[in-house]
Amino acid sequence: MSKSDKIIRQSKSNRFVHWASAISILMLIITGLGQLPLYGRYLLWQPFGTGWLTSYELTLWVHYIFASILIFTVFYHIVFHIIRKEYAILPKKGDMKASWQLIKAMILKKQEPPSEKYLPEQRLAYMLFAVAIAVLIVTGGIKVYQNLSGVNISNTMMVIVTLGHNLGTVLIIFAFIGHMAAFLFKENRKMLAGMFTGKVNKEYVKHRHSLWYKELKAQKNKKNKSVS
Amino acid sequence: MDRRSFIKRATAAAAAASVVTAKQKWVLASGAEESKQIGSIIDLTKCDGCEYEGTPLCVKACKTKNADRFPQPEKPIKDYWPRTHHEDWSDEQDLTNRLTPYNWTFVEQVEVEHNGEMRKVSVPRRCMHCDDATCQKLCPFGVIHKSEHGAVTIDEDFCMGGAKCRSACPWDIPQRQAGVGLYMNLAPDLAGGGVMYKCDMCTDLLEAGKKPACETACPRDAITFGPLNDMRQEARRLANEIGGYVYGDEENGGTHTFYVSEVPFEKINQAIMADKEALQDKRPGRPHMKPDVENLLDTAHGFTLAMIVAPVAGAAAAGITAYKTLKGEKEEQADE
Repeated sequence: MSKSDKIIRQSKSNRFVHWASAISILMLIITGLGQLPLYGRYLLWQPFGTGWLTSYELTLWVHYIFASILIFTVFYHIVFHIIRKEYAILPKKGDMKASWQLIKAMILKKQEPPSEKYLPEQRLAYMLFAVAIAVLIVTGGIKVYQNLSGVNISNTMMVIVTLGHNLGTVLIIFAFIGHMAAFLFKENRKMLAGMFTGKVNKEYVKHRHSLWYKELKAQKNKKNKSVS
Repeated sequence: MDRRSFIKRATAAAAAASVVTAKQKWVLASGAEESKQIGSIIDLTKCDGCEYEGTPLCVKACKTKNADRFPQPEKPIKDYWPRTHHEDWSDEQDLTNRLTPYNWTFVEQVEVEHNGEMRKVSVPRRCMHCDDATCQKLCPFGVIHKSEHGAVTIDEDFCMGGAKCRSACPWDIPQRQAGVGLYMNLAPDLAGGGVMYKCDMCTDLLEAGKKPACETACPRDAITFGPLNDMRQEARRLANEIGGYVYGDEENGGTHTFYVSEVPFEKINQAIMADKEALQDKRPGRPHMKPDVENLLDTAHGFTLAMIVAPVAGAAAAGITAYKTLKGEKEEQADE
């Protein structure tokens, strides 16, 4: 397959944000669950190298480290796209209905409605992640603040923040499972390469993301016109 | 000021400054009002462990006062699946020589060599009610509270009995009883472990302007509750007067309990450990008395700094990258 048969779908910056978030979220889930008395009780057999997971102290440190990485990434992501005025991933009106139609088409093996750069369910999934991450960062931030020496937040606030953080954790675990489940559909797997190499097949874009393809072509024509 | 305390203070200051809402009432500690904070002195030069009584009177008073709050588990009690054990003290409710869910204070009796002579030291033990209580701050369900007097209390109705508070406490104070509590109504076969119990500084009595039961019952005035700062100053003064030591002032970052002793606490701790070793006593409820115990959250302060810097660094990196990419795209267009 020649170079011209590929289209850049994910920039280096996007791939950095995706993988930095993915790794930090995964580690935050693992270490966050370590803050509950889970591993010590349920892991009858401790896999090699995972002994540290039963230490509340060590899991807390690692949780803080990956929380810092996630916060860095989130702020990077927001500021980067605001400056570049790129909002293609934000949900649009009618995305719920469109998502249902698209999923129905995938299940029934029928013609999918034309899509933009991101599928409607991708935009909704993004919002779900964004809400969960926002809840986790805000509640986590307050928890970190109250963990400082000499700081004690009110009892009511403590309950709200703790339960909010737990709820956010459940939400992001569901979001993660949903994200993985999306690849059960063969059609979605063609997007995977985009997150590794940055590029996807042109034919795939033409076929599935026809609205985005038109947009890319229009941009190219505009450029060509301005040059000539 | 050493490097460590500088970092600690700088982090705390930066964090406090970054939280705009810190000035609002809802963020302020319920127990942060200095004037309302209550502390206590346990004077080991006075305590004799009520040697002429079957049970020390402070212990007896505590048991009587809290009897209606002691757990009544449903039996048979199930194991903590997939483990094959559970914590049950219900058949040993009369135990008074250690902390249990049915005994929230006890008197440790040890023999210690000091200044060439053997001394019998009696040490009433219970929750220290820490300033920065790790049990309270790290409870995964936020059900450990601080009263307006600074007492650390466990909400027995919502505690799941995971016992993280005991692991997070430097002295392993809270004790667990299985077969009771919220988890019994949720999924008792799969999750939850019971309810954690410990001294709550007789919060109800303090709220009514009365003294905690242990103080009232002590025949030798070895236990005194009062305004926190007064208690701290008085403990230091007493220790100075006898050329002795204070325990609880610095430990775990500061507590609301101040032990005063003529004998170094290191020696008392060694005697407790030696006794436990000799008896092969591995059950929870007989805390050590190691001096200079550190607060485990202190170590996390360095990482807090990274968290404060992260948003600024992320935004700055984004600004630089976005500028570079936009510039690159413009140049590319110009080249074409």
